Amino acid sequence: MTTPVIHLSGIFFAFLLLAIPVFIMHKTHLPMVRETVWSFLRMSVQLALAGLFLTVLFEYNNPFLNVLWLCVMITVAAYESVRKQELNIKKLYLPTFAAFVIAVTLSLIYFEILVLQDGGLSEARYLIPIAGMLLGNSLGGTIIAVSLFYNDIRRNENRYISALSFGAQRTEALLPHFRTALKSALKPSLGNVAVMGIVFLPGMMTGQLLAGLSPMTAISYQIVLMVTIYSTTTVCVTLAIILTSYISFDGFGMLKKDIFLKK
Amino acid sequence: MDEEIIRYDNVSIVFDETTIIEHFSLPVNKGEKVILRGPSGSGKSTLLKMAQGYARPDTGTVSYRKHAIDAETAWKIRQETAYISQDTDIGEGIVRDLIAGVFTYASNKSLPYETSLNKYLALFSLDEATLDKDFRTLSGGEKQRIVIIISLLLERTIFFLDEITAALDGRMKQQVADYFLSHKDWTVIAISHDEAWYREGSRIIPVGGN
Repeated sequence: MTTPVIHLSGIFFAFLLLAIPVFIMHKTHLPMVRETVWSFLRMSVQLALAGLFLTVLFEYNNPFLNVLWLCVMITVAAYESVRKQELNIKKLYLPTFAAFVIAVTLSLIYFEILVLQDGGLSEARYLIPIAGMLLGNSLGGTIIAVSLFYNDIRRNENRYISALSFGAQRTEALLPHFRTALKSALKPSLGNVAVMGIVFLPGMMTGQLLAGLSPMTAISYQIVLMVTIYSTTTVCVTLAIILTSYISFDGFGMLKKDIFLKK
Repeated sequence: MDEEIIRYDNVSIVFDETTIIEHFSLPVNKGEKVILRGPSGSGKSTLLKMAQGYARPDTGTVSYRKHAIDAETAWKIRQETAYISQDTDIGEGIVRDLIAGVFTYASNKSLPYETSLNKYLALFSLDEATLDKDFRTLSGGEKQRIVIIISLLLERTIFFLDEITAALDGRMKQQVADYFLSHKDWTVIAISHDEAWYREGSRIIPVGGN
């Protein structure tokens, strides 16, 4: 059983479907036409480049190149997770980067040795998508958590100060804010996990089914990955908060004002 | 010989490029009851925050037991003194758990707070049932009394109190003020507009407003 290739004409007809939303937007004066067309063009170019790049990466299958690509992904993920918040990139970039490196590297090693067992992660075609999924998912959680953590302290400064004045060490006073942050980071994944397989088939599973893998193999990949993603996100969020907190507070335990971007 | 607890030396506070306090100096000795009085926005609360290192003077120094307050001493001061801010939002959850939480901190673990809790509830006319309510559903006056009780349970003897009777009724204002002012060896710096604090033995210090 081989997966049918999508011909150029097929891609053309797929794009033709966009005429429907464009037509409806036009008739209803919904000003989203430009954005729609532009977004899909951009996506196509990005994916075409990714396709080319992955072809090369898979062709060479060179460990050095793989690790290099992994570094690029982590760099971008850390950059995005700080940029998306109203936080100062220059100050918080390094600790966030370190959190991603540590969390993803440890997860990959564990996954390779104990989950996949017979290895395979040194192969570009396993490493890149799996590392990508770990990163992509912990990225979202980290963005939510770190941003919420600092905003929660800023918004509820009195609670934090009260805890300190009641004799709490910095860590003890920060714990309630950490709980709030971690909870918000993990909640969406839990919601996702609960309906998985019923409401939707995850992208990776769909891909494997299309590639001709048996459904049982596809679901076992999905299960082990979801669990790994969940714990990677937890580790990443925890590390990102611990590591950024070293530079976000002054010696008096007060939040430095310059970690936030000016309003 | 008087034992110096807190000393403000030539302290200035600049807020949004406006100097709101200039050359404020005040030594406070052990056992003294100091009441800071002044219009709102005059910087009284900031002065009080400086005593535990939550704010720092733009010029001048604040010292605690003759040591200028720096990052290291600030943590020690927070263990030895009590600060109550005028904002009663100290957390969420059931009151009993909130109080218990404070006594899970490493520095408070050895304090047997449970035995004194009921005594203080009675003293400040709070029902024991209050403990089982959600802190956020309490009235302003009830919250204020819970915060006061927590700081008393910590068994400290130096108090920085920011408008802690503002939301209480007349009789309770008197009760709380009396309690803090009557302990001879307690050192108290309080901000208040309530008459209950202004009485013989209190040292009234005007702040700002000229």
